[in-house]
Parts: sequence; C-alpha cells; structure tokens
Amino acid sequence: MNLFQLALKNISGNTFRSFVVALCALLLAAFALFTTLLLRGAENSLRLAIDRLGADIVVVPEGTEAKVEGALLMGVPTKVWMPQDVVKKIATIPGVEVASPQLYLATLTGASCCSVSNMFMIAYDPQTDFTITPWLMQKMGKGLRLGEVVGGSYIFPSEGYQNIKVYGYLVTLKANLEPTGTGLDQTLFMTFSTAQDVSSKSTTQALAPLEIPSNSISSVMVKVLPGSDLHAVSAQIMQTVPGVTPIESANMFQSYRKQMTGLLKTILVVMGIAWGLSIVLIGLVFSMAANERRKELGVLRALGATRRFIFQSLLAEASLMAIIGAAAGIFIAGLAIFLFRNFIMVSLGIPFLLPSAGVFTLWVGAGLLLALFSVNLAALLPAIKISRQDPAVAMRE
Amino acid sequence: MKKIMGGVFIVLALVIGIVPSFTDCLSQGLALTTTTGLTVPMKCHWTAVASIGVGIILGLVGIFTLLSKRNETFRTLSGIGGVSGALAIAFPTVLIGVCANPAHYCNMVEKPTLILSGILAITASAVIFGASRKNMEVVG
Repeated sequence: MNLFQLALKNISGNTFRSFVVALCALLLAAFALFTTLLLRGAENSLRLAIDRLGADIVVVPEGTEAKVEGALLMGVPTKVWMPQDVVKKIATIPGVEVASPQLYLATLTGASCCSVSNMFMIAYDPQTDFTITPWLMQKMGKGLRLGEVVGGSYIFPSEGYQNIKVYGYLVTLKANLEPTGTGLDQTLFMTFSTAQDVSSKSTTQALAPLEIPSNSISSVMVKVLPGSDLHAVSAQIMQTVPGVTPIESANMFQSYRKQMTGLLKTILVVMGIAWGLSIVLIGLVFSMAANERRKELGVLRALGATRRFIFQSLLAEASLMAIIGAAAGIFIAGLAIFLFRNFIMVSLGIPFLLPSAGVFTLWVGAGLLLALFSVNLAALLPAIKISRQDPAVAMRE
Repeated sequence: MKKIMGGVFIVLALVIGIVPSFTDCLSQGLALTTTTGLTVPMKCHWTAVASIGVGIILGLVGIFTLLSKRNETFRTLSGIGGVSGALAIAFPTVLIGVCANPAHYCNMVEKPTLILSGILAITASAVIFGASRKNMEVVG
C-alpha cells in the first residue's frame, strides 16, 4: 500500500472527520475566490467604463459629480443641465484637442409609451463625438441616422418587436456595445438630432413630453492634446468656465472606489478571522484524529513504516481533503458569482464584470493553493507529534 | 458520505421548494394585465409553482437517503435526485422559463437559485451513486 492509498483509506475510514476538514477548506477557498472575483470584477468594470467613455476629462455642472457618476456607473438616470456655450469656451482652452457635448435623458417610469421604464439615454453630437462614433465607424462603417440608436449590452427590443419605443417614438437599435458591467450596459445612445426629434414628437405621442431645455447640455467630454498636462488643463477649465467641475478620468468614480476600499478592508478582516478559526478547527480535528489513531500508527511503525512515512501519510491525507474541499468550494463560488452577478450588482450597488478565462484560472489556482497551505499548516503540529511517538508506548496505551 | 448527501438533498429541497415562491415577479407585485382588466401571473410564477413539486420529490429523496441502508436503494434514489436536479434547471430555462427582462427579480434571483440548486443536486446524486457503486465493489 503506497502513501496515496493509505491516505485515501484513512479519509474514507472516518467520513465525518474528513467532511469537517474538507468543509473548512471549502469555505475558505469559496470565500477567498468569491471576494476576489467581486472586488477585481468591480475594479475591472470601472476601468472598462472609463475606457468606454474615452474622455480624458468629463466636465459636468458644479455639484452634480456624484449624480453623473451614479448615472454612468449604475445606470440611474439623471437630469443635469448647463449652458451650451460652455463647449465653445472649453474648446478654446490651450491643450484641449476636442470638446464634445452630451445630453443625459431618461424614459418615463411605468408608461406605456416607453418600452423600458426609467432607462438612461445619452445623446451625443456626431460632429465632435469621440466616444461612440469611432466604434460605429469601425463596426458599421457609418454613423447613426435619424431614428437610429445604439444600446449597451442589456438593451434589446421586447419579444416580438423590432424597434424600441421611446416616448411613443419608435427607434431602431442598430448595434449593441460590448458589456462593461456598469450602467452603460443599460444605456441607449442616440444623436442630438434623434433626441430633438423624439422631444418634438413626444408632445403628441407620449404620456408626458421629453423636455430638453433649449441651449442646454448635460456634460462635455474632453480629449486633451498628446503631451498636454491633464491637471493644468483641468485647472484652466475651472478658472475659465464658471459653474462647472472637470473630473479627470483617473479620478472618475472616486466615491465608488472609496466604497470598494472600505468593503475590501472589511472583507480582509472577516477573511483573516475565518482563516484563523479554520486553521484552529482543522488543527483540533487532526489532533483528535491523531490521538484516536495512536495504536494504529504504532502498529504501522512496528511493521516497519518510518517516521517520515507516517508524517508524510498524515500530510498527504490533509492535502487530499484540502484539494477535494477547495475544488468543491471554488466550483460553488464560481458558479454562484456567475449566476448571481446581476443581483450582486443591484444589491451591493457596485459595477461588476466577470474576468477573462486566463485570469479566472489564475485565481482558481490561488484559491486551491491557499486551502492546501492552510490545511497543511493546521495538520503540521499533530503530524510531527504523532510521527515522533515511540511505537511500543503507543501500542501499549 | 451518503448520509451527508441525504442532508444536502433536504437543504436543496427546501431552497428549491421555497425560494422561487418568494422571488417570482408576482411576489414583487408584478403581473400582466389583459385588455379585459384581468391580472395574469407571468411565466416565472408557474416556474415557482412547478419548483414546489420538485422540492417535495427531492425532500423525500433526502429523507429516504438518510433512512436507507441498501446500495440498490441508494442508486435508485441518486437517479431520482439527479432527475429532480435536472428538472429544477429545466423549468426556468427550457420548460417554462422566466420573464424576458434581465432586471426583473425572477431573472436575478429565482432562475439562478434554481440553476445552482439543480447543479448541486445533480452533483450530490453523482456522489451517492459513486459511493454506492464503490461499496458494491468492496462487497463483491
């Protein structure tokens, strides 16, 4: 009988003990993977959202930063306005390459004239836009025409319909953007002319009209010239244009980043406590098992098994249980986060995007290693103690 | 191991039987209203009703697994448990379905809960089947 067979026999010999140790490994690996996936997924999602916006600086009306960030990140519609002449002022600032205005709109809540209730809509100026237009040109070879829209990955017409009804106006969905795990996935993008057309027709076609204040915009996307100092351009915007706040891309979604840092700290503390308790529990189970099997291991030693063999068999047993438990834990955690990702996003109020297969495999490996290390660490002391006992004394007891 | 899996079956049966009834759109106050003014529950509600049946079957499988001693019985129970798990997955995905809107509660909680529980029930059935076969080999 080799080391592996002996370890397997011992595991099946005491199912309940093995189950407790494997359960500890399962919980440890599952918790570690779940939290890592959650936090990395949120960070990944934030980065993608910033990339999708494509702007170096987003200029919003003063005091509306949190509202705009909430709209872009969680798809919570917001209506913020500032004068349209802000765009011209920003465009003339040295270091600014392009300044493109956007309108933030929303569909009505629970109205039959809108296919989707309270949906966030962004209208852009196709003449200056650098966020959606380059992607459209690459994908379709042309921009959007009147009545045409582009949606986030979650936007689709209702079953049996080809168009989306917005304020009683039927718009045609031309394409869907890649998922970002943020509110941009639930956002409808259209040109200024389509937004104005919807607005003018909504007075007769909708339950309530779509109101766009004249000569007003919601935000300005700014791209700076290569080599320009982003901070200097931001400061210049603050000085030159009163009543607006420039948000640099690196500082976007700061409130969510702070929220995630707080969450990370709490999770690390909980995980540290869970890890410590698991090691103590596994150590205790192994100590009890080692005492129970004193005679059995004494016989093995009397039959010629070396101390090293006894020590290795105990650690092999621990490793096997750790791998079985951790594999089950990783399977359950991975499946749960995949299936419940939307619920997690909504209930925790954070964006989330699943990682690529390569990154996921890396984290699965890390989870297995953590469980393997923890269980072996807990089993080390009892294994040393029992492998050093005198076989004659052990068999007599 | 088989007894532990019997306990797992009972827990899963409770989840499959109870959770969908409290996470379908009807429980959240959402229903279809016909032109005649009649209120009709959506697909997710009927999935929740069907899941109660699956939950009862899986619960009985769990109880019998805890009480049984014969390997033949374990193998039969694992088969029924596996089919129940497959049904728990099939009801919200293929057989009945849930609402089309991904933002609805049934899509966010009811469907994932049934799929996850179904997969775990199938896994537990496979473990029981494997363990009962192994014991047969040892006896034989």
